[in-house]
Amino acid sequence: MTRLSFTVFRKELRDHMRDRRSLLTALMWPLVGPAVFLVMFNMLASWYRQDRPLELPVVGREHAPSLMAFLERYGTKLEDAPEDYEERIRAGSLDAVLLVPDDYAESYTAGRTAKVQLVVDSSRQSARQSVLRARRLLEEYSLMLGTQRLYARGIAPELAIPVRVQEADLATPERTAAGMLNMVPLFLVIAAFAGGMQVASDTMAGERERGSLEPLLLNPAPRGAVVTGKWLATVAMALASVVITLAAYLLVVRRVPLEDLGVKARFDAPAALGMAAAVLPLTLAASAVQMWVSTYARSFKEAQTYLSLLMVVPMLPGMVLALSPLQPKLWMFAVPVLGQELLAGEVMRGEPLGALPFLIAGASSVGLALLALTVTTRLLTQERIVFGRS
Amino acid sequence: MIEARNLHKRFGPKVTAVEDVSFTAEDGVITGLLGPNGAGKTTTMRMLYTLVRPDRGTALVDGVDVVQRPQEARRALGVLPDARGLYPRLTAREHARYYGELHGLSGAALDRRVDELLDLLDMRDIADRRTEGFSQGERVKVAMARALVHGPRNVLLDEPTNGLDVMSTRAVRTLLRRLRDEGRCVVFSSHVMQEVAALCDRIVVVAHGRVVADGTPDALRASTGKDSLEEAFVATIGTDQGLMQ
Repeated sequence: MTRLSFTVFRKELRDHMRDRRSLLTALMWPLVGPAVFLVMFNMLASWYRQDRPLELPVVGREHAPSLMAFLERYGTKLEDAPEDYEERIRAGSLDAVLLVPDDYAESYTAGRTAKVQLVVDSSRQSARQSVLRARRLLEEYSLMLGTQRLYARGIAPELAIPVRVQEADLATPERTAAGMLNMVPLFLVIAAFAGGMQVASDTMAGERERGSLEPLLLNPAPRGAVVTGKWLATVAMALASVVITLAAYLLVVRRVPLEDLGVKARFDAPAALGMAAAVLPLTLAASAVQMWVSTYARSFKEAQTYLSLLMVVPMLPGMVLALSPLQPKLWMFAVPVLGQELLAGEVMRGEPLGALPFLIAGASSVGLALLALTVTTRLLTQERIVFGRS
Repeated sequence: MIEARNLHKRFGPKVTAVEDVSFTAEDGVITGLLGPNGAGKTTTMRMLYTLVRPDRGTALVDGVDVVQRPQEARRALGVLPDARGLYPRLTAREHARYYGELHGLSGAALDRRVDELLDLLDMRDIADRRTEGFSQGERVKVAMARALVHGPRNVLLDEPTNGLDVMSTRAVRTLLRRLRDEGRCVVFSSHVMQEVAALCDRIVVVAHGRVVADGTPDALRASTGKDSLEEAFVATIGTDQGLMQ
């Protein structure tokens, strides 16, 4: 039985290794998550990086020396604006430019409201942070002057400010970055499904469609051995896919300024091992269920459609977890997919877990795999499955 | 030796594919299962090679009951089934080797056996090519090689010459005679009378799921009182529909 399974396993792997196109899709798909991760994190970091001084080009610096002094005191790097500053703002190479009109000094000394202009492109996400900082500084300056003037006239400045708005922004860069990190478990679990999809559809639905299932079942090999061999080939691809995803994340994390964002996440070797221990057992169950579904499909194409739909299963709890992490309870680890996503998330956040959740999650995956394999084996004894339904 | 005993198979409440089929195919004899399309030949064959379970009756392959011990029966059978799909990315030799390994062969014994078959089927030149793009004749050769790799005592072939050109058909006939001369039990089904007449030592005529005639070509002619085999068939079946090519 074991030897026959191995024979089937070897044949399926050899067969699929020769299918370059599907092999490439199976192995490229895992790289999508890490690539998105790399791009997003670098963008986030450049938007939010606060230690960088605010650079503010100014037109008409000489008209407002005290404002310039104020801005510089608060760490702004002032410079003369280039001629084509509007173009540059639109193109994104400048975030904002301050215009001080000629009549600024006149209005200022006369005690009227002096106008300055902040030129921005509000459609540019990446400029948002700089614009916000510039505007806050300018408002701060205005408030300070107003307060001084009121004091000079013997009026309590509070009278002029009946209400003061204080903003409590919850979308700190830490939270946004953590939200993105929470996608990592999801992508790992998706890799467990994506890797074996091609083999699972070809090895069952495809086998029947091309008319090689009937001859195959004419061998004295027990159905169970045939199913096991095909399942092992599917699992091998899924394992490869998860390992590639994990390795890619490890490489990417080294190039991502996690600390700049103040994110607390462990991505060292033990954490990687922990995540592997969390997700790899799922490949057993995912592959077995894919085989089961594929056995029902009338054709290779139909199997692919069903298996794509099956990939939504890990996405649902994964998305929910990424948006609002929940406090894991022990029973949740026993739910395949949910359990693995929770485990990987906890490992990544560096929570101490103990062996029990891993054992529970692993056992539930093995249980589901056995169930799916038993059903698939039984299906292969049914005439309507072997000869196709019409 | 293959003995079919009162095989009966229904699909659903309405369709009776095989009503009652019994016959014996001896070793060293080519037995032809002849009948028009839809007579129940393929279903009968499938019951013999254990992939369809009869509702009533059974069959014995070298004395092994196909219903009770299907796996053991499969060991003694070499089958060219109705579906003869290949793996497009594997070579002809790899097909034969895969099936050989599934039959428990390995090492030098497997190498020797596969080489023998490649010679026997005259497919040395295509042995190490991937089967993608093979002609019908080449595909049948590969299917034959994997069916015979374990040297079965009994050979079942479902419409083996369907879709083949003259040369390939001749090659298949030569092979079947050779298998018979080696003392194997050869059973093949066909809806083409000329095919059966050219090859068979014994003919079992099936119509509407029943055996309507069983015997040597001479005996068939004698029992119907007709001079030509063709007329004998028409007389036994009652119509010539689907038997002539």
